[in-house]
Amino acid sequence: MYRYDEFDHAFVQGRVEQFRDQVARRLSGELAEDAFKPLRLMNGVYLQLHAYMLRVAIPYGTLNSRQMRMLAHIARKYDRGYGHFTTRQNIQYNWPKLSDTPDILAELATVEMHALQTSGNCIRNVTADHFAGAAADEVADPRPYAEILRQWSSVHPEFSFLPRKFKIAVTGAERDRAAIQVHDIGLHLKKNEAGELGFAVYVGGGQGRTPLIAKKIRDFLPEEDLLSYTTAIMRVYNLHGRRDNKYKARIKILVHETGIEELSRQVEEEFAHLQGSELKLPEADVAAIAAYFAPPALPERSEGWAQLASWKKQDEAFARWVSQNVQPHKHPDYGMVTISLKPIGGIPGDASHEQMDALADLAEEFAHDEIRISHEQNVIFPHVALADLEPLYRALAAQNLATANAGLITDIIACPGLDYCALANARSIPVAQEISTRFGSPERQAEIGELKIKISGCINACGHHHVGHIGLLGVEKKGAELYQITLGGSADEHTSVGEIIGRGFEPSKVTDAIETIVNTYLGLRASREETFLEAYRRAGPQPFKEALYGDAKAEAA
Amino acid sequence: MTDARIWRETGFVENDPWVIETDEVTGSEEQKALLPLADLIEKAESSNDVGLGVLIKPGDDVRKLEPYLYRLDIVAVEFPAFNDGRAFSHASLLRERLAFRNEIRAVGDVLIDQIPLMLRCGIDSFAVKNATALKRLEQGRLPGISVHYQPTARPAEKSGGYSWRRRATA
Repeated sequence: MYRYDEFDHAFVQGRVEQFRDQVARRLSGELAEDAFKPLRLMNGVYLQLHAYMLRVAIPYGTLNSRQMRMLAHIARKYDRGYGHFTTRQNIQYNWPKLSDTPDILAELATVEMHALQTSGNCIRNVTADHFAGAAADEVADPRPYAEILRQWSSVHPEFSFLPRKFKIAVTGAERDRAAIQVHDIGLHLKKNEAGELGFAVYVGGGQGRTPLIAKKIRDFLPEEDLLSYTTAIMRVYNLHGRRDNKYKARIKILVHETGIEELSRQVEEEFAHLQGSELKLPEADVAAIAAYFAPPALPERSEGWAQLASWKKQDEAFARWVSQNVQPHKHPDYGMVTISLKPIGGIPGDASHEQMDALADLAEEFAHDEIRISHEQNVIFPHVALADLEPLYRALAAQNLATANAGLITDIIACPGLDYCALANARSIPVAQEISTRFGSPERQAEIGELKIKISGCINACGHHHVGHIGLLGVEKKGAELYQITLGGSADEHTSVGEIIGRGFEPSKVTDAIETIVNTYLGLRASREETFLEAYRRAGPQPFKEALYGDAKAEAA
Repeated sequence: MTDARIWRETGFVENDPWVIETDEVTGSEEQKALLPLADLIEKAESSNDVGLGVLIKPGDDVRKLEPYLYRLDIVAVEFPAFNDGRAFSHASLLRERLAFRNEIRAVGDVLIDQIPLMLRCGIDSFAVKNATALKRLEQGRLPGISVHYQPTARPAEKSGGYSWRRRATA
C-alpha cells in the first residue's frame, strides 16, 4: 500500500496546524460558524444532531494493522469506544469534542492518515474496488490512480469551493464493485487494443434526491491524461454547475440540463488546452506509485485445499461462512475474505475498539497486514491463504465478526439516520436491525440468496436506497416516519435505479412488507439460481404490487 | 469597496485608484473605474484607451477579455460569497490560458483562510474588509501550507519527486 514520504508528512502536518489555528479562532469567537463551517467540513468535522462528528478518510478503503489500531485508539480515547464504517469506505466517530479534533488529526497523521476532504464542497475521498489487487478478474489495480487523484485533489486551490461535493470512484475490472456509475466521475480502468492502460470515463452519476446514472463521456482516455482530463471536467463544473439551489448543484444536474453532447464538447475544448501540460502523467511516476501497491509475496500454500475440504465437512457453520464470505483470489491457494460488520440484529458498519484491535492483530497474523473497507460497510482481508481460513474464522467468531451473510438479505447498508444525523427524517438503524433479526436464520438467508437491502433515512440517499435490490427511504409525513420501498435498483456494471413500488409503510409494518416481497420472489423465481434482482427484472413490479397492496390500486406515497 | 483595504504580498497599498461604481458610489477625479465586462468591451472597441480595469462577475466568460488584455492594468474577480469558487477558475484561466501578466484582484467576500488558495490561482491583490483577515495580514500571518500536490498558475518549484508536486517559492 501507499506509504507517506517526507513531502506527504510535511503536507499533513501543515494541514493539522492550519486546522488547529482555525479551531482556536472558532473557539475564541474570532471565526464565525458560517465561515468556519466549510473549513471544518474540509477537515471532516460535521455538526450533527447531538454532537460533532469526525469522518476520517481511508483512501480507497485500504489500510494496515497499525492504522486500524489507531482507529481503535481514537474510538477509545476520544469517543465512546466505537466507530462507524461508511459507504464511502471511511470511518466516522459520532461523539468527539471539537476542541479535541486537532489532536485527533495529529494522532492520525502519525500513522499516515487524515480527515481531509471527507466533507465539504470539494473533491472527496476517492473510492475503489475493495478487492483491488486481489481479484481474479482485474485488468490492473485501480488504487495507484486513486492515490494519484487523492494527492492531486488534496487542497486543490481551484476546486475547494465547488458548487457541491464531488465524488470519484475507480474500478479495474469489468465487474464493477465500486459503483462507478453513481459517482460524479466514474473511472473504469481498462486496456485498449494496443494493450495500453487507460480509462472509460463516466460523468454525472449520483444518488440523492435526483438519482441519475452516469453518462460515458470517453470510451478510452490514455493513462497519461488522467489529471488533465479530470481538471477539464472540474473546471467546466466549477464555472457552470448551478449555485442557485444546493439540491441542483451536483454535476449530474449540469450533465442533465446541458446535455451530455454539449457538456462533452465543453470538456473536450478545455482538455485540448490542458493536454500535454504540466498535468501530463509521466510513466515513471505512475510506475513509482504503482510499485507501492505491488501485491504481497504470496507463497504456495496448496496444503490449504485438502485442509479446507476437511474442515468444511466437520463444521457446517464454517462451511457456510466460507461459501458466503470467501471469494476466489487470483492466487488459487488464497481467498478474499469479507468480514461482516452486520451481525444479526446489529448496527450495520459499527465496530468496537476491541473488534478493531482484534482485526489489526488478525490482519498481521493471517492477511499480510492488508485490510480494506468496502462501500458495503464490511471489512475485507484481501489475501488470506485457504490454509489459514479455519483459525481466522475461529478468531473472528470470538469477536462476533464471523457472520456468514456477505451479499445476503441481512448484509444491509444503512445510513446513520435520525439516531445521529441532523438531516434525517426517519430512523434507519432500528429498521435494519429489525429486518436483520427477522431474516437472521442462516437457512432462510441461504434459501433467499443474494439480496441487497439498502436503507436511507432521508432523500439525500446516504444509505444508497436507489440502488438497493430492495431500497427503503425514510420520509416524514405529518410528523410520523414512513418508509417508501423501491425495487430493482443495482449499483454494478448494470446499474439501475429502483422503482417506487407504491405507498409507504409505517415503521411497524416495514419488516412485514419486506417479508411479503421476499415471499413473492420465492414464489415466482424460475429456479433457485434466479436471484431476486433477475426475477424482478423478468417479472416486473406487478406481482410485488399485488402482494403488497392487494387489488387496491397502489399509489405512490 | 469603500471600507476595503488593498493588500498585496508586499504589504498594504495606499491610494489605490480603482473603484467599483454603483448607484451609491461614484469614482472621484483621481479614481478609475473597474468596468463591468460589457462596458469594458464597449469602451475598448470605441477608443484607444489603455490602462483600463475590468470587474469579472462569477457568471462572466473571462475568455472574452482576450483581445483587450494588453490594454488592461487590472482584472478584478468577484467572490460574492466566500463559498462561490468560480473566481478561482477565472483567475486560473487568466494566468494559464490567457497569459495575463498584470494585476488580478480578489474583491467581495475575501477571507483569510481563502487568501492562500487565491494566491495559488494567480490572484495577487486583495480588497479586504474582514476584520480578522485585516488583523492577520497586518501581522503577516497567512494560514497556507508550503507544499502542494498540484501545479497551479502561481509559479512554484518542482518538489517531492512526482510531476504534480510543488513547493512554495519564498
